[in-house]
Amino acid sequence: MRELLRLVLTLAVVGIVSAAVLAGVNNITAPVIAENERQETLQALKDFFPDVSSTEVKEEEDGTYTLVYDGSGKLLGVMATVQFKGYGGWVTYNMAVSSEGKITAIRVLDCSSETPGVGDVIAKPEFLERLMGKGVGDAIQAGVDVDTVSGATISTTAMINSVRLVVDTVAANYLGMEEEGFDIAAVPDGTYQGTGQGYKGDIVVEVTVEGGKITDIKVISQEETDTYFATAYAVIPQRIIDEQNLEVDVKTGATGSSAGIVEAVRDALQKALESGGEEE
Amino acid sequence: MSSPWKDIWRGILPENPTFRLVLGMCPTLAVTTMVKNGLGMGLSTMAVLICSNVVISALRKLIPEQVRIPVYIVVIATFVTIVEMLLKAFQPDLYRDLGIFIPLIVVNCIILGRAEAFAGKNTIFRSFLDGLGMGLGFTLALLLLSAIREIIGSGTFLAGTGAEVQVFGSGFEPFAVFAAPAGAFVVLGLLIALSNVAFKRFNIG
Repeated sequence: MRELLRLVLTLAVVGIVSAAVLAGVNNITAPVIAENERQETLQALKDFFPDVSSTEVKEEEDGTYTLVYDGSGKLLGVMATVQFKGYGGWVTYNMAVSSEGKITAIRVLDCSSETPGVGDVIAKPEFLERLMGKGVGDAIQAGVDVDTVSGATISTTAMINSVRLVVDTVAANYLGMEEEGFDIAAVPDGTYQGTGQGYKGDIVVEVTVEGGKITDIKVISQEETDTYFATAYAVIPQRIIDEQNLEVDVKTGATGSSAGIVEAVRDALQKALESGGEEE
Repeated sequence: MSSPWKDIWRGILPENPTFRLVLGMCPTLAVTTMVKNGLGMGLSTMAVLICSNVVISALRKLIPEQVRIPVYIVVIATFVTIVEMLLKAFQPDLYRDLGIFIPLIVVNCIILGRAEAFAGKNTIFRSFLDGLGMGLGFTLALLLLSAIREIIGSGTFLAGTGAEVQVFGSGFEPFAVFAAPAGAFVVLGLLIALSNVAFKRFNIG
């Protein structure tokens, strides 16, 4: 019994001393770390908006949005510092959106959770430049409008999705612009055909619109690998019909085919709008 | 050779943790893509190793046999956390590069290995020397490995330190595989083979 007590006491004392030492060191380093992070944000602000004169910080669900004004109080743009879940964990980045709603700069602050040499491509210019100049009103869909990097599909797709969300947030909350979504309600009733590029070849779909809503999506022809296509076909048309929106999540395990279906549906609706509903 | 030198020397060559004991392979393989990272990892590990060796040696008569491993781990983890906090505050760039490998120093078997095999049985001064020697041996091994991988894999030397050198000029297409994990295994394997030959030849250890 006394022996046991000695063991427990030793461990307890070691633990307490260790905690005390760590608390002491933390007291010294915590303010320095906070100051470093503040400086980093400030530096990024100056790099992105050289004319910055005053700022206003807003907290959103996915991160911090800093509104940047020049000397006369005109809004220059918004810098977002946001986090998203990448392949291995959380990724943090800064993104500048101009007052016209265009992405002008992206700087990845921390992608240490992504696989070195693979997923960390999201911090490199050759990937980031694919997003430059996009903005409000542009479709920013991974694998469709912005190419992912093969081998790093999960990291790059997550990054692109996050960028789209940030652009939407900035547009809606700070620039007073609404994303130009596809106005399905404006499509006259009817059945329309459209073509999209799948993983291996063209996918042709037939979309039925009734009362301003997509009620049915049928695939007329495709050249995809059967098993993958079955996965995409089982999920994507239903998602589009449920959400009445073409910005659906295409992560199904068959992203190429899924994106092809979405593109084909978009094509069909586009044609319908342009032809004023004249069925082909 | 006098005894203090022997304690240091042992870790550098005859019992080099990387090439002779083959301990601590995880950080060895993972961070040695650039000299800067290899050196940072080596020095961080050395700092933890020396501190934990000294403290464990000082406490060796107070720690009951049955709970020595948990005590060692707590001591090591404490020093690793201190190193992590200091790096984050004063060397944020290095901290960003080494990333998750800093907390992993806790489970670097060199440190626990030296605590168990040496510091738990020897005087404070000798444990200090042992930590210094093993730390130097580990750092030198990482330096060698990361220099080879950086030069062949990226075509640079000392990148990110301000003294960057383009080794082969701009037309050189680096062998990216050497910067990838597979290259780490290849280089490490060759170096261990080489050191085995050298040790036999010169009768060290």
